[in-house]
Amino acid sequence: MSEKNERKVMLVPCSGIGKVHGLIGREAVFRVAGELRPQDTELACLAEIVTQDKEIRERMNGRLTITVDGCPKMCAEKNVRLVGGEIFTSLRVVDAFRTHRGAQAGSATELTSDGWQISDELADRLALKVDEARQGGNKDA
Amino acid sequence: MLEVKKVGIISCSGEECAGGGISRLAARHVLESTRPGRTVTICLPLFLAGGEEERYFARTFPTITVDGCEKRCAFRATEKLSGHVTKALTVSDILGAESAAAPSFSQRQLNPELERKIDTVSTALTEAVDEIMGKPAAAEHLLKPTVPPAGMRLL
Repeated sequence: MSEKNERKVMLVPCSGIGKVHGLIGREAVFRVAGELRPQDTELACLAEIVTQDKEIRERMNGRLTITVDGCPKMCAEKNVRLVGGEIFTSLRVVDAFRTHRGAQAGSATELTSDGWQISDELADRLALKVDEARQGGNKDA
Repeated sequence: MLEVKKVGIISCSGEECAGGGISRLAARHVLESTRPGRTVTICLPLFLAGGEEERYFARTFPTITVDGCEKRCAFRATEKLSGHVTKALTVSDILGAESAAAPSFSQRQLNPELERKIDTVSTALTEAVDEIMGKPAAAEHLLKPTVPPAGMRLL
């Protein structure tokens, strides 16, 4: 792994397929990796992490990672820990809904304007966490 | 031999390439539009993060995996952690490696070309569902084909 990649923060959303929360987290991560902090972040497929193959274990081992989970099952966080990733913080989409009581966010297939707003706000929070991680801030976990 | 009432679909939803997004949206299309009520899904990472009831998925339903790339993570993880996969589809086989390996996309970036690709994969997936529905399930691979274990969260 190059030194440049070593400094990048790994982002892993749960991408849950059953509820809107999974899509909101997935889109927030894509916004950070694609627009807000493209130079500072890297994506890893959660499905590959689930396989626990040697290749992904080597890639994740000790890598500073921020997970974004849709539901309290915390699949992304748990699976990243299992392959040796170092969790800087774990964001939860359900927390992002606290300031949007009653919002109709859409479905696991597509987001409404409310859903995109929640996702974008989550992306802004996530970008700040990436900055903290790169500056050597304290881990939440 | 047991009659098949519902078919399980597990997509990789991979975040690192376009194939993952295509697999996810094709699976959602089949679940919601082409075969609603005949198909169920579960989040792949629940096989490790969830309980025993979630790991029963592929032993409860004849299951189709839809993978974005040739790594076939959904297929391999399902076989390893849940049970026998009845049919394994791969976006790179259906659309070609170049389409599958293209950069991942936000749904904000959906365009007619991507929608055509998603439609092609969802058609293949629908056909795979019909093929399984038309056949009795092989009993040796199924635990209880129509009655999920207590506590299983069907999506």
